[in-house]
Amino acid sequence: MSLMNILAMQPDIEDIAEEAEGTGEGFSTAPLVVLGIALAILLSYALVKFFINRARGGLPEVDTSAVVHPAEFETDTALRFEDVKVSFATEFGTVDAVKGVSFDIKPGEVVAVVGESGSGKSVTSSTAMGLMADNAKVSGRVFLDGKEVTNISPAKLRSLRGDEIAMVFQEPMTALNPVLKVSDQLVEALQVHNKAFGREALAQAVRLLAEVGIPDPEKRIHEYPHQFSGGQRQRIVIAMAIACNPKMIIADEPTTALDVTVQAEILDLMRRLKDDLNTGILLITHNMGVVADMADRVVVMFQGEVVESGPVNKILLEPEHAYTKRLLEAMPTLGEANIEVNEPTPAEGEDSAMPSVDPEAELHLEAKDLALAYKNKGRSTRVVEGVNFAVARGEILGLVGESGSGKSTVAKAVLGLLEVEEGELLVRGQNLPKLPRAQQKALRREIGVVFQDPAASLDPRFPIGEIITEPMVVHKVGTPKERTARAEELLDAVKLPRTVINRYPHELSGGQRQRISIARAMALSPSILIADEPTSALDVSVQARVLDMFAELQEQYDFACLFVTHDLAVVDQLADQIMVMEKGRVVEQGRKEQILRSPREDYTKRLLAAAPVPHPEEQRIRREARRELLASQGLRRD
Amino acid sequence: MSNDQTPEQQNTDQDQQMVDLAEVEDTKLEEKSKHSYSQGQLIRRRFFHHKPAIISLIMLGAVIILAFSSIGFGAVPGWWDKHYQATGSIVDGGRPMMFQDGNFLGEHPFGQENVGRDYFAMVMRGAQQSLIVAFVTAVVSSIIGIALGAIAGYFRGWTESIIMRLTDFVIVVPTLVFAAMLGHIAGGSVVMLGVLLGCATWTGMCRLVRAEVLSIREKEYVSAAVAMGASPARIITKHMIPNSIGVIIVNATFAFVTAILLETTLSYLGMGVQRPEVSLGLLIEQYQNAFSTRPWLFWFPGLFIIIIALAGNFIGDGLRDAFDPRQRRSGDSRPSIAGVLGLRGVQRAFRPKSDVGMPAAGGSGGAQLPAGQNDPHGDAKRFGRKK
Amino acid sequence: MLKYLLKRLGSTVLILFGATLLSFVIMINTGDPLADLREMQSDNVEYLMQERIERMGLDQPWYIRYWDWLSGILGCFGGSCDFGTTMTGAQVTPVIMAAAEQSLRLVFVATIAAIVIGVLTGIVTAMRQYSLLDYLVTFFIFLFWSLPVFWAAVLAKEWLAIRYNDWMMEPHFTWTNILVLATILAIFVPMVLGGNAKRRLITGGIMFAFVCAVLPWMNAVNFMTHPRLGPVIILIGSLMLAAGFTALIAGIRNRRVLYSGLTVVALGMVAYYATWNLLQDPPGGWLFLGAMFVLTIAICVVIGRSMGGHARGQATAVSVLTGALMSGMILLDHFMYHWPGLLSAKPRPVSTIGSHTPTLDENFWVTALDQMTQLWLPSVLMALLSLATYTRYTRSSMLEVQKQDFVRTARAKGVTERTVILKHAFRNAMIPLVTIVAFDFAALISGSIVVEQVFGWNAMGNVFITGMQTNDPAPVMAFILVTGSVAVLFNLLADILYAVLDPRIRV
Repeated sequence: MSLMNILAMQPDIEDIAEEAEGTGEGFSTAPLVVLGIALAILLSYALVKFFINRARGGLPEVDTSAVVHPAEFETDTALRFEDVKVSFATEFGTVDAVKGVSFDIKPGEVVAVVGESGSGKSVTSSTAMGLMADNAKVSGRVFLDGKEVTNISPAKLRSLRGDEIAMVFQEPMTALNPVLKVSDQLVEALQVHNKAFGREALAQAVRLLAEVGIPDPEKRIHEYPHQFSGGQRQRIVIAMAIACNPKMIIADEPTTALDVTVQAEILDLMRRLKDDLNTGILLITHNMGVVADMADRVVVMFQGEVVESGPVNKILLEPEHAYTKRLLEAMPTLGEANIEVNEPTPAEGEDSAMPSVDPEAELHLEAKDLALAYKNKGRSTRVVEGVNFAVARGEILGLVGESGSGKSTVAKAVLGLLEVEEGELLVRGQNLPKLPRAQQKALRREIGVVFQDPAASLDPRFPIGEIITEPMVVHKVGTPKERTARAEELLDAVKLPRTVINRYPHELSGGQRQRISIARAMALSPSILIADEPTSALDVSVQARVLDMFAELQEQYDFACLFVTHDLAVVDQLADQIMVMEKGRVVEQGRKEQILRSPREDYTKRLLAAAPVPHPEEQRIRREARRELLASQGLRRD
Repeated sequence: MSNDQTPEQQNTDQDQQMVDLAEVEDTKLEEKSKHSYSQGQLIRRRFFHHKPAIISLIMLGAVIILAFSSIGFGAVPGWWDKHYQATGSIVDGGRPMMFQDGNFLGEHPFGQENVGRDYFAMVMRGAQQSLIVAFVTAVVSSIIGIALGAIAGYFRGWTESIIMRLTDFVIVVPTLVFAAMLGHIAGGSVVMLGVLLGCATWTGMCRLVRAEVLSIREKEYVSAAVAMGASPARIITKHMIPNSIGVIIVNATFAFVTAILLETTLSYLGMGVQRPEVSLGLLIEQYQNAFSTRPWLFWFPGLFIIIIALAGNFIGDGLRDAFDPRQRRSGDSRPSIAGVLGLRGVQRAFRPKSDVGMPAAGGSGGAQLPAGQNDPHGDAKRFGRKK
Repeated sequence: MLKYLLKRLGSTVLILFGATLLSFVIMINTGDPLADLREMQSDNVEYLMQERIERMGLDQPWYIRYWDWLSGILGCFGGSCDFGTTMTGAQVTPVIMAAAEQSLRLVFVATIAAIVIGVLTGIVTAMRQYSLLDYLVTFFIFLFWSLPVFWAAVLAKEWLAIRYNDWMMEPHFTWTNILVLATILAIFVPMVLGGNAKRRLITGGIMFAFVCAVLPWMNAVNFMTHPRLGPVIILIGSLMLAAGFTALIAGIRNRRVLYSGLTVVALGMVAYYATWNLLQDPPGGWLFLGAMFVLTIAICVVIGRSMGGHARGQATAVSVLTGALMSGMILLDHFMYHWPGLLSAKPRPVSTIGSHTPTLDENFWVTALDQMTQLWLPSVLMALLSLATYTRYTRSSMLEVQKQDFVRTARAKGVTERTVILKHAFRNAMIPLVTIVAFDFAALISGSIVVEQVFGWNAMGNVFITGMQTNDPAPVMAFILVTGSVAVLFNLLADILYAVLDPRIRV
């Protein structure tokens, strides 16, 4: 067709060219004619294409059940690690991350690798994919269905990746390419391994999306990753991983970045796929609840070594190694909750909108009809509305909710980082936002704060001593000598050596930095402490230690505390009162026992039901209970 | 919950006693060598490992000392006896005498120009003038840029809009054009010229400082300072500017390079330093047509500009690597000669072990630092439940 | 998205307005436009001064003078621009129009060359981080950043123009030339292509032999005075291109992609013969050539999409790239065909003054060749300046993107390294680069002032410098306005590109 066009256009142009010369004008129409031809070619091609497509009809129909096949194995182990060692060369010498690890995963089995930061669990698993950093040195052998993958050529390894061994990552928000459509990325996964091409691949991709529970997949597949929520993106990543029916799936903390209710849904999905696929799944996690929910066998790692492994029941219920025991003990416990489905909401005399506070108590912090908004270029968006609470001296109010619930916004408002749009915020009886500047500053002495991120909450250029005494400097309290004395006293209180006073934050670990944060908050012995997810970035055992310390200090200083967290178990351990928030509004509030043991609102029940417990049997029962609960609330999709 | 619930733990052997991550970390902290490295020391250490930067630093220092000591500055006399404006008889067609006839410098090391002035003295004088202008420009533009950038980043709102629209000027009006118009005002004074050029080139620094301040604003230690009632002045000067010092120093270095090129260009076009004063750009303009007859008149000032600017660029690059190791793959050192030549698979050379703790500075490719105390996925949320 | 673009456009136009106001005020307050008259000894000095004061409105307050100037400019929207008059009473409008054409040609050519070469070099150096090539490129980038452009321009004038012209009197490669060139290429090409030691040795050897064969052949056929590619070289070259792009983009085993590339080559050869006579004197000049190019691309797209099957996207990319470069070769062949014509009219081909040879009265190709010989040195110099910026930013942007999670996801999918770089990393890496285009454009305008001065172009730079030296506001303002407006357009283009590259801001 194109050849014809080139030949056909020849005389035309010459005619026109002559014409143009004939007129003697400098302007020639020939370029326009050529452009016209180009346009005509493109248009006719588009038309032909359109009609061919119409004649063929829409997407080719393929049997839906064929999307996921059980994987077929040649040997009886899907993946085997034999004495794997990994070391990294760093600026300051070599670091041994994995010190000789051996275990295996059988087809259709879920093996959970459990450990805290620095245990080497993620590094171990990435040796199976050959996706190591350049400065890594690997020894030992890894077999995928009997084939050794540690010594094959990069090209061969590449053809195994995605085809026979696939991976699901922790961070769904960044795991997908933001500038490519979901369809491109899914189709690519199929085309790379010659599973399907073109329209067929697209149809296959749509079915994969349907399989992982994305609603309206025909339309949504043509959207970009940023148009999906975090949970949906993780589903897409899972769809990509199962696209080629791999023999092995490595899931590296697949639910850690997700809210607890979304986590439960993703775990449900993975459990369902596991049964359909017959693949081996290597689940890397730090969460014993997830382990109890998913795993058949457990491998516990600590500082680059396997300390204990065995069936899930044995490890979780009768652990032998001290580390495993310690890990299980360190997990905050959530008391038995009553999330009965059919129990009618008791309408007792107590008003659920106003918390029950002993009128005799000395109220340190109080909010009345608080409404908060973020201002952006003159426009303000309400994010929190109608919040009432009161915290008395020596009391802890746990503020619970998922991401986007506005719980941290409330904390920010108390800290003066956000202006109060409506309502009152009383600090020791005075409405803080309405006070004159000088009095506001004076009143800020009474508020201490601990934030979430241990990496960002200490100024990297200040030595620890100055960090702890910064509130004293700001409020001009004490002489330099007294400040140093106070800093040492506080370091003792958070059980850190006094020598730390001249060190810098980058030399400390996350848990230690968080303890420094607490020391700083206590510097002026405030009567109110705001803690914004202070332990959620910490490892379980470190978290346990920080929480113990927190409780001790509270006893000692008797402050009122607003404790913001997403973790009901932590709240159960610490708080006196609880306030549950969702989408900027208070869902339910009251005494801890009432909220956690006999919740009234559907949302609170869902939240409680979604949290997994580190006990396989119990977790199975809870899973069933959650299923029933969701069904009764009309939220169950399948 | 606490440790005393596990009595058998005490009975196990030494290795198994440390089963608590927090304990391990605390022990590590106790065991650490007494010497403590601050951020600044780490940065210095990294900078002094950057060979091109160190060589450049020495070169630049040498050029500055040479320029100011040779012909003297102001009232202070130098060791070179000829004045840059004094004419003399032309020796050997004005050819350079450096390294000739066994002399190190000779009578006229860089030769003479057409009326017999000593070209060495002229180039030294030119280098002095250009260095002064560049230095003043870099300082002035940095001060304006830092102040406005910090204000724009901290206060946001309309203040920020106005300042950022001002910085957008450089998109529309080329810096050279704006500098030429301002340079007009300077008259003969080189310091004044420097100040005015500074007023024309602050926008880059302003943008960078603002961006940096905007990111530091979101850091929790700033939130903590605001919450404890610290004043904006304290937050800007104690937290924000010290933490953007890397960006500031690196870009001040680059501003110096830009300034020296801008000044020489302006002088070349006849809109910067004016005769009878000399500057490197002016010298090139004056003698560019002598290229085929007396090429040294063209080469020497140009080489001096290049040496100064190149040294500045390498120093800036070294500083950037030192302040912000993100650009480099963290952890690895640059590969050995064999690696560079493409002979991969040959063992890489790594730096010797040292007792410095691992820096956790801002996510320097954390995924590659898997061991030790730094959780590569530090912001991971943890969920817990009862047993 | 339209709202976003309009907002961005509005704000830059407002900045342009502010810039003209500020410049005008600085301009009329910093110099004495009567300076030359004050030194005059003639009798009618008083009268001349009075006349100039009247003409320039020196007795008026600044806002009235600005308004006068602005109302002339605002006439542009009514179709009749008036950039005012110079101090001697000459109209600025025609001068600036003629000057703008030359300067903008220079700036556009330099920008495009810098972007294409810079981005490619950046990608290659990012892929070969810490290789000798990377270090060399880094060194040259720092050198270019440190190079005073006027100094480099004088050097280029001497070496690349005057010495070249001398050589062209008797063009002949000596064996020393050949061996030196062959050695350089034999070292450099393997560095770019990479691979293990054995592969490098082989590519180096091939390169050495190639140069040692080609240059004597060029001597033998008098290539420097009578160059031709001819159909054979075009055919071989295009076949290599088709195969090379297939290997690069889809892998050589992908037959459909290879065949679509080969079809393009076949059609191109047919078109080469079919259009030869027509192109001897193209009706409409460059526009016609441009239209032919569009037609070629359209045909290539159709070929790629209809022949590519499931690898449609890759086939289209291969056929479009092959088609584009092949038309480039055909164009080059036409230019070469007319090179002796230029030499007979202009024996020293690269003259160092002016943007074109005014006395030349030849056909389209010779005139174009003349402009190119005049254009190439200034544009190479200016391209070098921004080349460094683009290379460096592309390199660091690519390295940054390669650390992102989604690149790891792509690798985990089993995608080849080639696809990881070209499909996943490259597009994301381009997003931050787009903003640099807007800033870099202003830097290039600065560069063009200097380069034009060195090469004696009577263009925008000259208008500006003369205006500055005589304290004449009208030409200076005309310069600022014209370059500023083009910068605004460039900025708009960058914004559009940004929106195209990044779906997150397309709302």
